[in-house]
Amino acid sequence: MDVMDAFTRFTNQTQGRERLFRATQYTCMLLRYLLEPKAGKEKVVMKLKKLESSVSTGRKWFRLGNVVHAVQATQQSIHATDLVPRLCLTLANLNRVIYFICDTILWVRSVGLASGINKEKWRMWAARHYYYSLLLSLVRDLYEISLQMEQVAHDKAKGEKSSSQDPLGYSVADEETEWLQSFLFLLFQSLKKHPPLLLDTVKNFCDILNPLDQLGIYKSNPGIIGLGGLVSSIAGVITVAYPQMKLKTH
Amino acid sequence: MDAWVRFSAQSQARERLCRAAQYACSLLGHALQKHGASPELQKQIRQLEGHLSLGRKLLRLGNSADALESAKRAVHLSDVVLRFCITVSHLNRALYFACDNVLWAGKSGLAPHVDQEKWAQRSFRYYLFSLIMNLSRDAYEIRLLMEQESSACSRRLKGSGGGVPGGIETGGSGGTGTPGGGLPQLALKLRLRVLLLARVLRGHPPLLLDVVRNACDLFIPLDKLGLWRCGPGIVGLCGLVSSILSILTLIYPWLRLKP
Repeated sequence: MDVMDAFTRFTNQTQGRERLFRATQYTCMLLRYLLEPKAGKEKVVMKLKKLESSVSTGRKWFRLGNVVHAVQATQQSIHATDLVPRLCLTLANLNRVIYFICDTILWVRSVGLASGINKEKWRMWAARHYYYSLLLSLVRDLYEISLQMEQVAHDKAKGEKSSSQDPLGYSVADEETEWLQSFLFLLFQSLKKHPPLLLDTVKNFCDILNPLDQLGIYKSNPGIIGLGGLVSSIAGVITVAYPQMKLKTH
Repeated sequence: MDAWVRFSAQSQARERLCRAAQYACSLLGHALQKHGASPELQKQIRQLEGHLSLGRKLLRLGNSADALESAKRAVHLSDVVLRFCITVSHLNRALYFACDNVLWAGKSGLAPHVDQEKWAQRSFRYYLFSLIMNLSRDAYEIRLLMEQESSACSRRLKGSGGGVPGGIETGGSGGTGTPGGGLPQLALKLRLRVLLLARVLRGHPPLLLDVVRNACDLFIPLDKLGLWRCGPGIVGLCGLVSSILSILTLIYPWLRLKP
């Protein structure tokens, strides 16, 4: 079966497997949130909680050694050509390095190798640096979106100039809604032309909900965090399965 | 650093590292126990080993599909013996992984009424069968190579016009001197066969690696099933050696034995 072959090739990559487990973990979180208020579902909720916690613990094994990945990504991002992406990505990757260091220390604590570690403090640090790295990635995404929008507007203006010379093409009814409409149109067009950018923006936006909740900046409920985590994991799975969907730095 | 990134990108690589760490912990725990270390340290090592074991079970979820895929590929091999050995070995591995998944479900609390002992025994039995198939395949390959080598040797002797009379003849075709020569003749024959075996293995590192790996791995299910209790020290050492060898095959793909 071709499906099984594709599945095998996909799960042979660590990232592929890890994203699947992450999707499972956040699905459990979402399902728990949806099923908890319902009566008579306590056993299912308990099983979901156990699955979520064992998958979450197991995923730590996937993250060990990712410090090196993040350092390498930092080195690569220093060579980006544009100033804003270079700055944002380098700082984002530096924050990821610190996040992975905190994560490794938390892992050392959780397997019982060093009991003197203050779990809460390190967890806050990890969440904070993860939040910074996601924020910087979002800034970079917004910059790239604005560039794309400029490009689309430029192309549209060129197209309009060459096609019709009618200056009264549209009515002057409400300037604000006109501006909003054209902005949304540009946004939609630029994201449609650039799926990797859309995927990356969605992923970062969904991911940031978790540290926002952990740091208390924007407290949401486990349902929203679960849904956001699930969507971002699916986006991650797509980038692993189809490498051309990964946002490249030029 | 680039090498680590490429290495750890394969999920099998991370699982092998965890396996090496787990058996290193087992070996360390046994050594600490023998030399009377503090119970606190021993408890920490045992706890780490338990975490590693459970983590590995999660990392292995989905390996059943991988083993079935390999079995499907092996069905198309030309050599009958290889086809049989490799396919059966992969099928047994798939069953081993399936039992392992059941054990994980039990340990993580998803299916609390799973009989851990029964399923553990089952999984080790399938693992033992798969290792026996692997070793049979290795023995068959060694035999083929030894026949090839000995016929190549005798051809070289014939080509060089006789050379040293019977000095380098290596069993196989063409007997040595008088038939039924007694014990010294047998010892000589045996010694020549062992030399031929050493030569074959030295010339084929992937085969040697595979034989040593399977032989080391064999001690683990033998101990766990109670067939040959070697003790945690030997099990830890063998597990560690076989994990290191399989990590080597992942780092240097040319060391992997191809059918």
